[in-house]
Amino acid sequence: MSAFLARNRLIVLAYAGMVVLLLVTAMFSPGFLSVSNMRSTVVLAAFVGIVALGQTFVIIGGGIDLSVPWVLNSAAIVMALLCGGQDLPLVWVMPLLLAGGAFIGLVNGVGVAQFGVPPIIMTLATNVILQGLILVLTGGSPTPSAPALIQFLSVGRIGGFPVIALIWLALTLIATLLLSKAAFGRHLYALGTSATVAEFSGVPTARTTILTYIVSGLTAAFAGMLLTGYSGQAYLGMGDAYLFTSIAAVAIGGASILGGSGHYLGTVAGAMVLTILTGLLPALNLSSGALLVVYGAVILITVSIGSETFAGLGGRLRGRRA
Amino acid sequence: MDLVTVNGLSKRYGGIVALSEAAFGARAGEVHALLGENGAGKSTFIQILSGAVQHDGGTILVDGQDYRPANPDAAQARGIAAVFQELSLIPDLSVEQNIWFRHEPRTWLGIVNRAEMRRKTLALLEKYDFPALRPEQELRRLTLAERQIVEIAKGLAKDPRILILDEATSALPAREAEWLLKLTRQLAAEGRLVIFISHRMAEVRAIADRLTIFRNGSTVAAHEAAAVSDDEIVTQMIGRHLDRLYPERVPTMTDRVALKVANLASGSRLSGVDFSLREGEVLGVGGLQGHGQRELFQALFGATKASGAIELWGRPAAIGNPRQALTGKDGIALVPEDRRGQGLLLTKSVRENLTLSVIKRFTENGLLSRQKEAALVKEMVDFLRIKAGTPEQLAGTLSGGNQQKVIFGKMLLTQARVLLLYDPTRGVDVGTKGEIFQLMRDLAAKGYAILFHSSDMPELVHVADRVLVMRNGRIAATLEGDHISEEEILRAAMLETRAA
Repeated sequence: MSAFLARNRLIVLAYAGMVVLLLVTAMFSPGFLSVSNMRSTVVLAAFVGIVALGQTFVIIGGGIDLSVPWVLNSAAIVMALLCGGQDLPLVWVMPLLLAGGAFIGLVNGVGVAQFGVPPIIMTLATNVILQGLILVLTGGSPTPSAPALIQFLSVGRIGGFPVIALIWLALTLIATLLLSKAAFGRHLYALGTSATVAEFSGVPTARTTILTYIVSGLTAAFAGMLLTGYSGQAYLGMGDAYLFTSIAAVAIGGASILGGSGHYLGTVAGAMVLTILTGLLPALNLSSGALLVVYGAVILITVSIGSETFAGLGGRLRGRRA
Repeated sequence: MDLVTVNGLSKRYGGIVALSEAAFGARAGEVHALLGENGAGKSTFIQILSGAVQHDGGTILVDGQDYRPANPDAAQARGIAAVFQELSLIPDLSVEQNIWFRHEPRTWLGIVNRAEMRRKTLALLEKYDFPALRPEQELRRLTLAERQIVEIAKGLAKDPRILILDEATSALPAREAEWLLKLTRQLAAEGRLVIFISHRMAEVRAIADRLTIFRNGSTVAAHEAAAVSDDEIVTQMIGRHLDRLYPERVPTMTDRVALKVANLASGSRLSGVDFSLREGEVLGVGGLQGHGQRELFQALFGATKASGAIELWGRPAAIGNPRQALTGKDGIALVPEDRRGQGLLLTKSVRENLTLSVIKRFTENGLLSRQKEAALVKEMVDFLRIKAGTPEQLAGTLSGGNQQKVIFGKMLLTQARVLLLYDPTRGVDVGTKGEIFQLMRDLAAKGYAILFHSSDMPELVHVADRVLVMRNGRIAATLEGDHISEEEILRAAMLETRAA
């Protein structure tokens, strides 16, 4: 048990932080812990959590995906346009857009792994290109409303549980299996720790890198469709908030932003923390500007905890060699 | 009077005692060698002296005054500088920028005075007769050996009264190592104290006035170098009598060809290389450093692009990357040159490192089996006698010798029976060196085929069945039987080949 705590200290910390934050918020805002409010908090956190799933994989592998806002936004808008408010077209539109998200991920991954483009540049470029394409496509005009089925997926309930929470749970299980129980996870952590050592150990580094970006494209596109259901329609700029929150959730969840460590279970707590914060700040009568300031502060604090741990480890490494 | 006097020095890391009751004394104007196996406490000792870590107990006197530096800057202020094995240089800066880093000469405006920096660099390089270094060269373009030389220049730039060299020769080719030994004598003649760590007895013999021996985290003896024999030193280092460093060389070679290389070429560093490696053979690769040995090993492993024909166990092999090299029982495995940069995930556990190349061997229906993995880990930990607290210990916290064993284990688990060993004993203590040589002979007896490069020539002479000598990216000579000697290797490496 203590070995588990030692290895996953930062993840445990993220959950502890989440609980503390819940209690603090409940103090300022009585009724925050009510069933209905917790339900809406989890629904909002699920969108962050789903986008951050792919981001977690990319960051553990030593990269970063800045294209999530407009992959998400593109999927949302194209879905609304293709479905025209009807459920039936979803049968082919959803698979098509998931494939589209995966394709953007493939482009990102190939650019990074095969052509050596720095991840920040590569994914920023695809983000801007997608933004331009969507502006041309829509001409800025509003899109039809979201199909009823997709609304059910994002705001409906099964047996009292939000459907999207169940989807998030399923995705969390899959992500955990991939990271902890599959060869892919081992390859990914090795890649993020040292790409050279991974390569010299026979790890398929290019394939693993490309896969992480594909997963990120998939989850961003999926979240875009669900978010359209939540908002009732798709609109330009709906993905912008998810760039920062997806990366922040990963960092708060205990992953090193340099790669090689972290887990999606931590990211889940990170997504919750960020969402609870957005509930806390209105209760404190803070403006949305102040919200951003606090967001930033939370990231700084979290990352400095992480780097302190890293420095401690460095000290141990030096000390034992004699 | 001694320049440095140390009494009862101790250092703990949590529950681990790294150093206890260490005593030391050294005079200005001498070269003082520190000897001991890895893990004996030498590194902790010099880390304390250089201000990298602080001691828990005991006293250090420098010039008769108490000495307890809070950090390396404070140590330098007292005239103590250290050159460590792990390099501290910044790849994006030039040679001279690295040498004067944070101590750059400045103009009255506080701006770095480039002309002055160049002048001081050239003066420094000339004064100590440094092997060809260009001050403006970007560090990332330098080889490991050249970087080590820059590191030494950086230490000397501080004009220290006490210079600590931590295995500084281990990364250097023969000629540069020779220069460094001369340099230590020159520094001592200038009245400085040089504290010198090396695992090579011949070097210690060549330069040391006195030596202090470490064992199990403490000092066990100090000697005048002239008054003690090699045998006594080794016995004191390991606490028992080590019969032989090199195992008996029983020929285990068969007629079966494991690896056949024809007309292998890579870039400008390797061309027209032909040779055969047989089952049960240890084939040495020697020559002066930088004559294509590194490129040969990397090309065979698929780590660099190469042309030419490679056959493994009689079948043509296309090796485009390390993954292809490591696949299957007919594969080819590499223990790489740079243990920390190419071989090990330092922040991951011994277990994760050992099994990284063979995840398929314990995957069932797409899921990892922790029991099967544990069995593989146990097999290698037992077979190689890896000394780790548990398999979950981080690889970076192991001693150098044990780190090297983990890399061997990782490669042996792949079941590849052609092994490429690039300088596998570099920076490894005497005891583990002996174990590695014995392991090589045992593996050869089991039918492995081993290609073995060492920067330490006696290792080639005593361990290899045949030795290929490389010069200018080609094989200049193949030495066999009684012809394998340091003289013959050097002759082939440096002189024109006679008709073979």
